[in-house]
Amino acid sequence: MNHSPTSNSANGRRYWRSLDELADTPEFKDWLHREFPVGASEMVADGSSRRHFLKIMSASFALAGVATLGAGCRRPEEHLEPFGKQPENYTFGEAQYYATAMPTRTGAIPLVVKSYEGRPVKIEGNALFPGSNGSTDRYAQASILDLYDPDRARHFKHDGKEVSREEALNFLAELSKKFAANQGEGLAFLAESSTSPSRARLQKIIADKFPKSQWFTYDAIDSGIHQRAATQAFGQPVKPVFHFDKAKVILSLDCDFLGDEEDVHNHIRKFAAGRKAGEGMSRLYAVESLFTLTGASADHRLRVAASEIAKVAEFISCFVAPQPDIPPPVSSEFESRWAYECANDLMANRQKAMVVVGQRQPLEMHLLAHAINSALGSIGNTVELIPTAENFRADLKNLETIGTDTLVILGGNSAYTSSLWPFETYQQHKSRRAGTIVRFGYYEDETAEKSDWNFPATHFLESWNDAITSDGVTVPVQPLIQPLFGGLTELEFIARVAGESQANAYEIVRATFGGSNEAWKKSLFNGFVQKTVSPVANIRLTKEALVQLALPRSMSPASLGKDNLEVIFFRDAKVDDGRFANNGWMQELPDPITKMTWDNAVLVSRKTARELGVANGDMVEITLNGRSVKGPIWTQPGMADYSLGLALGYGRERAGRVGTGVGFNAYKIFSGKYIETGATLRKTGETYTISCTQDHWSMEGRPAVREANLDEFIKEPAFARESFHGKEPPIVQSLYPNPLDEAKKTALHQWGMTVDLNACVGCGTCVIACQSENNIPIVGKEQVGRGREMHWLRIDRYFTSDPKRKNNPSRFSLSADMNQKDENQQFAEWIDDVQAVNQPMMCHHCETAPCESVCPVNATVHDQEGLNVMAYNRCIGTRYCSNNCPYKVRRFNYLDFNKRPLTELKGTLYSTTLTHKTAGEWDLLRWWKDSNSGMRTEDEWDLIKLSKNPDVTVRMRGVMEKCTYCTQRIEHAKIKQKAKAGQTGEVRLLEAEGTVPKTACQQACPASAITFGDVSDADSSVSKLKALPLNYSVLGDLLTKPRTTYLARVRNPNPDMPDYHAPFSTEEYESQSLTQKGNS
Amino acid sequence: MIFPKWTNWLPLALGLGAVLVGGGVAAGVTIYLTPKYTRAGYQPVQPVPFSHQVHAGQLGLDCRYCHNGVEKSWFANLPGASTCMNCHNQVLKDDPRLQIVRDSAETGQPIPWVQVHKVPDYVYFSHEVHVRRGMSCVKCHGRVDQMDEVKHDQSFSMSFCLDCHRDPASYIRPVDKVTSLGWQWSTNATEAAKLQQTEGQKLVDHMRVETLQSCSACHR
Repeated sequence: MNHSPTSNSANGRRYWRSLDELADTPEFKDWLHREFPVGASEMVADGSSRRHFLKIMSASFALAGVATLGAGCRRPEEHLEPFGKQPENYTFGEAQYYATAMPTRTGAIPLVVKSYEGRPVKIEGNALFPGSNGSTDRYAQASILDLYDPDRARHFKHDGKEVSREEALNFLAELSKKFAANQGEGLAFLAESSTSPSRARLQKIIADKFPKSQWFTYDAIDSGIHQRAATQAFGQPVKPVFHFDKAKVILSLDCDFLGDEEDVHNHIRKFAAGRKAGEGMSRLYAVESLFTLTGASADHRLRVAASEIAKVAEFISCFVAPQPDIPPPVSSEFESRWAYECANDLMANRQKAMVVVGQRQPLEMHLLAHAINSALGSIGNTVELIPTAENFRADLKNLETIGTDTLVILGGNSAYTSSLWPFETYQQHKSRRAGTIVRFGYYEDETAEKSDWNFPATHFLESWNDAITSDGVTVPVQPLIQPLFGGLTELEFIARVAGESQANAYEIVRATFGGSNEAWKKSLFNGFVQKTVSPVANIRLTKEALVQLALPRSMSPASLGKDNLEVIFFRDAKVDDGRFANNGWMQELPDPITKMTWDNAVLVSRKTARELGVANGDMVEITLNGRSVKGPIWTQPGMADYSLGLALGYGRERAGRVGTGVGFNAYKIFSGKYIETGATLRKTGETYTISCTQDHWSMEGRPAVREANLDEFIKEPAFARESFHGKEPPIVQSLYPNPLDEAKKTALHQWGMTVDLNACVGCGTCVIACQSENNIPIVGKEQVGRGREMHWLRIDRYFTSDPKRKNNPSRFSLSADMNQKDENQQFAEWIDDVQAVNQPMMCHHCETAPCESVCPVNATVHDQEGLNVMAYNRCIGTRYCSNNCPYKVRRFNYLDFNKRPLTELKGTLYSTTLTHKTAGEWDLLRWWKDSNSGMRTEDEWDLIKLSKNPDVTVRMRGVMEKCTYCTQRIEHAKIKQKAKAGQTGEVRLLEAEGTVPKTACQQACPASAITFGDVSDADSSVSKLKALPLNYSVLGDLLTKPRTTYLARVRNPNPDMPDYHAPFSTEEYESQSLTQKGNS
Repeated sequence: MIFPKWTNWLPLALGLGAVLVGGGVAAGVTIYLTPKYTRAGYQPVQPVPFSHQVHAGQLGLDCRYCHNGVEKSWFANLPGASTCMNCHNQVLKDDPRLQIVRDSAETGQPIPWVQVHKVPDYVYFSHEVHVRRGMSCVKCHGRVDQMDEVKHDQSFSMSFCLDCHRDPASYIRPVDKVTSLGWQWSTNATEAAKLQQTEGQKLVDHMRVETLQSCSACHR
């Protein structure tokens, strides 16, 4: 629908000539183009006087007046350009869906991608996939933004200069010829791990063709340890599949299987399935040093430094898998009692218990876990071992010693993610060896800078590929769009290096698949190959593994203290190992636990911070093995003492407009071991501002999240009802009739939602899914610091604590938490041992919505189906609605966030079109020429237009917005149903017929915690959930009658444990309301 | 005497002036800014002198032959040049006026038709649900079968949409008569108007047509 060069207004009749003719005169053009910009650029140059400013402003108003008369009331001539040849089975304006998959390090996430007019706009999980609930993880949700990243590598480059595609491909052909001649002498590959059978096949071809070449695999975050440990323990190539749904007792030893491990969406789904409130729900013990999502979901959490978790593990193993030794001592009596009871619980649930060890823990710990699992009879029940291809792995240290002539780097960003690997050495030796580094990568990043040749890679949505999921099913990866910038797919690149005659990625994948065309088409349609992988039966621990277990292990030699700190390097919940650093959605997503955006920090416990004399925001220097890095301190409740948590993936130097310079680079002191001791910390004296979306940690005794222990729930299933613990004020009925009650009588549906707090682990997938579906902009760190983040859906994370540990539990005395500044929480002792609760919070669509009654222009009103709708065009931005919203879920566009250039995200000041230049051109002039693009450069603007969901309005400055229950999906479903109904009355959407749409958050949720549907249909799942005794409304006593309700959380602690008690939030609430009564 | 005598006329003159100026502004706004005047009547010249009168009127082609997306999508679709060539490879196959069409069908270069009907970007209108639920093309687009060149027939203002959304019974017709632009409930005009009310209401009740007036019906 663009102006085509063939058409111009000259051949068209003009109806609205008026000032157009004037606009075409040279005088007018001259005035327009010269005088105005000249005057304004003076103002920019010398700061200008107020008078000058007014002069320019009046000129611009005059111009605006002319514009209104001349152009404003005349519609612009737009063109509709149909196809020359109409393609079959294609309807413009209708979304198309294709099955594909996102490859991960040790598997793949099966996906279905929605595409409008050939451009992918939304990623969903493949619900057809065996066992899947159609969910994804947050990385998959965010990966679509990477497709439209303006900083992607776009050119073939040699020595930093652009070369043509032909030239670059010729180079590869020559390279291949050269090494074919000498059997690959001096050729080395450095790749990231992949499960692709096609890549493995090409790798084999390379090994055959270039027998002397070397293949190295390096991942900054090594998730392959689970497979390697299992292979070593059982003596055959197998990988474990954890069935959290079948387990009754789970012990996690530093394993954040709900957070930073691979395959999290499957783990969350299975874990949530095993946690249905009631008899038989599973129990989770977590022993960890960082506060993780797994710890937040645990029934019992033991805070132990990561390097000392082995002691606890050994202690437990002595009971479970009897060994001749006496149990090794653990640090305290509490710990030993904890571990003892935990071991008892594991043994009481043989075959239904499981022990999982985190990927950051050393291999010996994994072997120990396999031994415990074997002793418990879990192998084959809760832990299945499936056959797998052995993963090739060579020690990177060899890379230095072999005489490498050419190093081919396949993806990854090893120059950034590994400060130890011989890159630096290689660089030094380079002059001697006259070597060449050939880099195939998605960004022109730190590694690209050090490479001689750079080949742009395609996104997985642009590539043919294949992969094997964690449970062993082969999935094809099919492209949704032609490469936007003409890069190469990984398979094509490798095939060209190998000198294969067939370098077409599709043909390579097709050849790997084999089989009939029918089977191939079916697998593309379904998104997976119908094949179940049966676990290896009768598998036993090998003698070698047992022998190795018996060997004495060197555990942290010196005890930890403030001069011997432990450092934990972990995969970041947002940027992964740094690969999502240039993804604005991920940077702005509040970390699931810290709620920090746009930064990483040195996470420490309160006690450690106090002993070291540091507080939140203090810059510190950490020294480890002679190397050091600087970062800000963040006191993390529930952290183990003397542990420092450092998220990897930040401090990028060449990430792009979004990611460069965000946070600090923990890789600087990372040597490949995720847990290290012997670090020291020094305060530098500088301070740093962190933008955190939830500074206040406590619920202040309001029962926003309602919890009970399993035994209480069994006694009193309706514990969460409105009069929670008999202390909530009764709901007073309104005197006035609600117009919705009248509208309800004729409306076809009444929409409502439940959020199951028992299932929700707080992973944040829904937040990104919502952002992707609803065109939610990012605002940048400084704006988040001002509380202007735009997420329609946020996840509130509260820390609760034993009220006895709080110095003064009363919220009515001056020294109580509520009146304490947020900064002081970090010094409060109660944060040491906390429980965390997560609560997704979005517009509640209150039937008696407080926001609606205060809007002066009726911009937010109710529709007949119970949606609280926003008419953006009516909104004048008074923000009264936001003030009156008790849930604080309304978001205001303080600035034109969609039109801000990405480079401004990190700026401290918002520049206006008056002072800003884009690509050397004054922005006001650019606006005059094209009023749409704002201050964004052309490439950014083109790409952001592609990435938006066409079903949802892109909001501008001065407009209020909020969760709409995905009204566009509801309307789409209604339209389809009505069109289908034709001249009949079958217009109602029914869940039984599968016509009720899913909201974006609901569809993405791995735990299936969110349920949306028609509450006027008694058979809908949402109605059934709302009828459960666990159902409650947040702040229901305000008579808001929210349509979104919550299912209370049920914890399942073990009464024998030393830390057994009622949920802290409930205890807090009880004690505070007692004080309240006493005070009043 | 502080004020001269002519000042007696001042209030009247001011009042009159205010009325004139106000009336002028009101008239100006009405003519230059309201959809009734800014949109209705718009009739751009198209790159190909295609006549709906000939095709839809005289030859009686169904609207959906060319606008094939109208029942499947929000967008009615413009036919590709290949659709035109289905007939025009036989009929008028050397006519110079059709050169652009022939070129387009051959090269794939689209014909730059000028858009006539457009709703604002914040309005999500769907052809699909309207034409499949008894809203005739003629209600919004007029007697296209009598137009040589298509012109904008109705204002497409919000009140234009709401007229029908408030009272669908006065506009609805049987679903199979949607593309018969000249169809009436009866040849007698008063009879037709009466039938529209009674039969229309029957249709509305039978088809459970809602009177959708909340924002979410059109704005998302």
